[in-house]
Amino acid sequence: MSKRTITLNVNGTDHPVQVDSPDRLIDALRDQLGLKSVKEGCSTGDCGICAVLVDGKLVNSCLMLAAQCDGRRVTTLEGLLEDPTMKRMQGSFIANNAAQCGFCTPAMLMAAWDLARHSPEPSGDEIKVAISGILCRCTGYYQIIDSVRQGCRREPR
Amino acid sequence: MSEQVSQLLDSLRAKAERGELLYIGESVVRVDSLEKVLGSPVYTADLLPRGTVYAKLFHSSVAHGIIKGMELGAAKSHPGVMGVLTSKDIPGLNESSAVLPDRQLFADPVVRSTGDILGAVIAETLPAAADASAKIRVEYTGLPAIFDPLEALKPDSLKIHDKGNIARQMKIRKGNVEDGFAKSAIVLEKTYRTQFQDAVPLEPEVGLAIPEDGGVKIVGSMQSPHHTQAAVAKVLRLPPDKVRVIQAVTGGAFGPKSDETPYDVCSAAALAAVKFRRPVYCGMDREDSMVMHTKRHPFVISHKTGVSREGMLLADESKIVGDTGAYASLGVFVIVRATFHTVGAYEVPNVKADSYLVYTNNTYSGSLRGFGGPQAIFAFESQVEEIARKLGVDPLEFRIRNMLIPGKRNATSAVMDASCGLPQCVEKAIASSGYREKAPRYRNQSGDVRRGLGIALLMHGNSLGPEGNDYGAVHIQVLSDGSVSVGSGLTEYGTGAVSGMMQVASSVLGVPLSRFKLERPDTSKHRESGPTVASRVVVIGGNASKIAAEKLRGRVVPVAARLLKADPQDVTIADGLAFDRRTPSKTVKWDEIVAEAYRVGVSLKEDGFFMAPDAPWDHEVGQGTPYLQYTWGALVVEVEVDMGTGYYRVLGAHAAYDVGKAVNPAGVLGQIYGGTVQGLGYAMMEELIHRDGFVVNPNLGDYYIPTSMDIPADFRAHIVEVPGPLGPFGAKIIAEPPIVLPGPAVRNAVLNATGVSVDDLPVTSEKVLMGMKQKAAAGSR
Repeated sequence: MSKRTITLNVNGTDHPVQVDSPDRLIDALRDQLGLKSVKEGCSTGDCGICAVLVDGKLVNSCLMLAAQCDGRRVTTLEGLLEDPTMKRMQGSFIANNAAQCGFCTPAMLMAAWDLARHSPEPSGDEIKVAISGILCRCTGYYQIIDSVRQGCRREPR
Repeated sequence: MSEQVSQLLDSLRAKAERGELLYIGESVVRVDSLEKVLGSPVYTADLLPRGTVYAKLFHSSVAHGIIKGMELGAAKSHPGVMGVLTSKDIPGLNESSAVLPDRQLFADPVVRSTGDILGAVIAETLPAAADASAKIRVEYTGLPAIFDPLEALKPDSLKIHDKGNIARQMKIRKGNVEDGFAKSAIVLEKTYRTQFQDAVPLEPEVGLAIPEDGGVKIVGSMQSPHHTQAAVAKVLRLPPDKVRVIQAVTGGAFGPKSDETPYDVCSAAALAAVKFRRPVYCGMDREDSMVMHTKRHPFVISHKTGVSREGMLLADESKIVGDTGAYASLGVFVIVRATFHTVGAYEVPNVKADSYLVYTNNTYSGSLRGFGGPQAIFAFESQVEEIARKLGVDPLEFRIRNMLIPGKRNATSAVMDASCGLPQCVEKAIASSGYREKAPRYRNQSGDVRRGLGIALLMHGNSLGPEGNDYGAVHIQVLSDGSVSVGSGLTEYGTGAVSGMMQVASSVLGVPLSRFKLERPDTSKHRESGPTVASRVVVIGGNASKIAAEKLRGRVVPVAARLLKADPQDVTIADGLAFDRRTPSKTVKWDEIVAEAYRVGVSLKEDGFFMAPDAPWDHEVGQGTPYLQYTWGALVVEVEVDMGTGYYRVLGAHAAYDVGKAVNPAGVLGQIYGGTVQGLGYAMMEELIHRDGFVVNPNLGDYYIPTSMDIPADFRAHIVEVPGPLGPFGAKIIAEPPIVLPGPAVRNAVLNATGVSVDDLPVTSEKVLMGMKQKAAAGSR
């Protein structure tokens, strides 16, 4: 195995990253760039709590190799902390008790933010579909769904 | 300012008139919400210092055998590997057990399950450790193995442990069941079975050990740091004060993290940290966790139940067998709770129960949310449904006739007092579900798609009860900046219970929860507070928190009175503002009072300790008051079944729980939603399958847990508040109970829709279809 240097555009900044061929995107993000909001829950693409955006698409970062992301745009929760939609979503999660253990919360927020960009008034079913790739073992999803519905609204009611 | 105070006074007066307390009953924001929505690096795996190396546990590949030899050479010479630890590297006691000393940290020479840990590979990187562990070859002398607990219970069965295969036995003798059966019009005997469930906390078991100060500092994901400290100290042969354990923010727990697995990861990391003088992270991946940690015990429960012609339960005899796998773990208490709940929420005048916690060569079972309740209540609520059908009585009316109400006696002969809110729960859940209108309509359906309603009722003994001394300690310190710092050995792992415990102090002090900070539980700072289990934080910890806050208020009020030139008796503190109730126009701010206290040297630190009164019971007959109060509940679910395929969905769930006093209603609802959905997983889809002792689906691709697409479209949760005698402001426990009822409620709903009794969980569509085919075949004969 030989290291090679790739460029990841993460949260708007280009980072040269040294990777081995089996290194996954989650490894590069967590271990090399220190982006700890990205969580690992199963390593097999089943739980979804490692979700990040690659070129604007929600993906499981445990299923992508870092090298596949050479030159691509990666967005994690850390990159959206100043984003108004994300702030609204976070506030909604807090107000609705949507984070219990919190381990799925960053991924849920990424999925919710992704939905909010396209759909300011999502139906309950649209919300369920949008977060369906991410497992939560604490909440039973109801308070998350309420949070996403409220967080998607651009105007407070 | 005076307007603000008069508004405050008005709202306080209105609350007092309603019997409410400041902040209690308000859905306030948890103290730990912000770090979670920010994705802050607060979990164990986020906290690895530079230079951390990795420990990968490896486990047995036979279910029962004796280790003849281990070939470690290839692993040791793998690039990046620093060494391999086995039992020979343990300076202290090779033991990792919570109650009975029946389990080794690294099995040697006997292995009793495929989940037995044999050692750990230590390497510079995780891939190196994982790759090297795959190169370890272990040679065993195979032994015959037993996977069926009923087989293991036979007297001539091979012994898995020297003392035999029964880890714990219990019984209940109430009245005389033979008399009851003699008077019964109908006697029904049936056997029910439950499966292995995996808790699946999204963060698996992980621990980080850092050499420090002649010993080791551990940061880990766990429920009970002081127990972990004791376990690690024993393994390392260190005095406990040389093992400092800090609970990191914990990504879900649900029981296994109160059991023995946190000891394993923390002990392995600590052994390696001391040996190699490096920080060591021992983190289970999902497969490791699902193979090596404790699961929910499968149970085989037989009931023989007698009922009078008038539809009154007269007698119940049960045999309860729990498969604890290779080791007892906290299972010794799981079987106790299951036994005490053997006839659930009903009065049965004659009860005989014999229960056995049995060793097998399956991977081991232990603590999991509900703790024996889900199995016991599944069996008896199924039995109740069968009896009602046999009698030809509506299952709701049968339940109402026999359920516990004030004045009636449960299985241990404890007399229910006015704090029994079961009737109110039943009323709420029934009204919410439209049961009385729907049930008759659903009785005679003939279409391809049919609906059914299922009911289950809950009695859940609160807190530890018979499981040990039930105490909690809370330390509260007001810092000079006016913030309130709270520390305890009781831990937060997701439920929000510790926030609730702090909310109690917030109410007593009159300072909003937003000014409170939670200290990370740390064995070097906080006193041992018993295990964080049994949903007991708000009830037991809440009492300790109340005591500490009342003592602090006793110090703060005189300072405020001096500043206000008022009589301390007339001083109220609310929303961070103190005022004289007779002349409320003058106020002082909390921060000013605190500054004054610091200036004059009034100490603003207090400890609160609360020990629950004894819960006495007679071990010979299982009679007494093993629990000091109960949580009550009722669940109605509505299912829709495709008669051609057996596929069914839960359309609606109507839950009502008597929580005594909902300290934080949003948090209570979170427990009802989350517990019910986890219980629906147990009811419908979750089964960790063992084949010849091997877990065949140790991953989330083959072991299904509910996703957002699986939850009922219509979920109504109702909070009932009938104050209990034990908790602060009448609070009862709520984190565990909601997982109990979905199993029987779903099973009964499917039965009422299809006529098919599925007596072994989970109620899969396959089983429903098979049942319908068998019925059709029987009908055509």
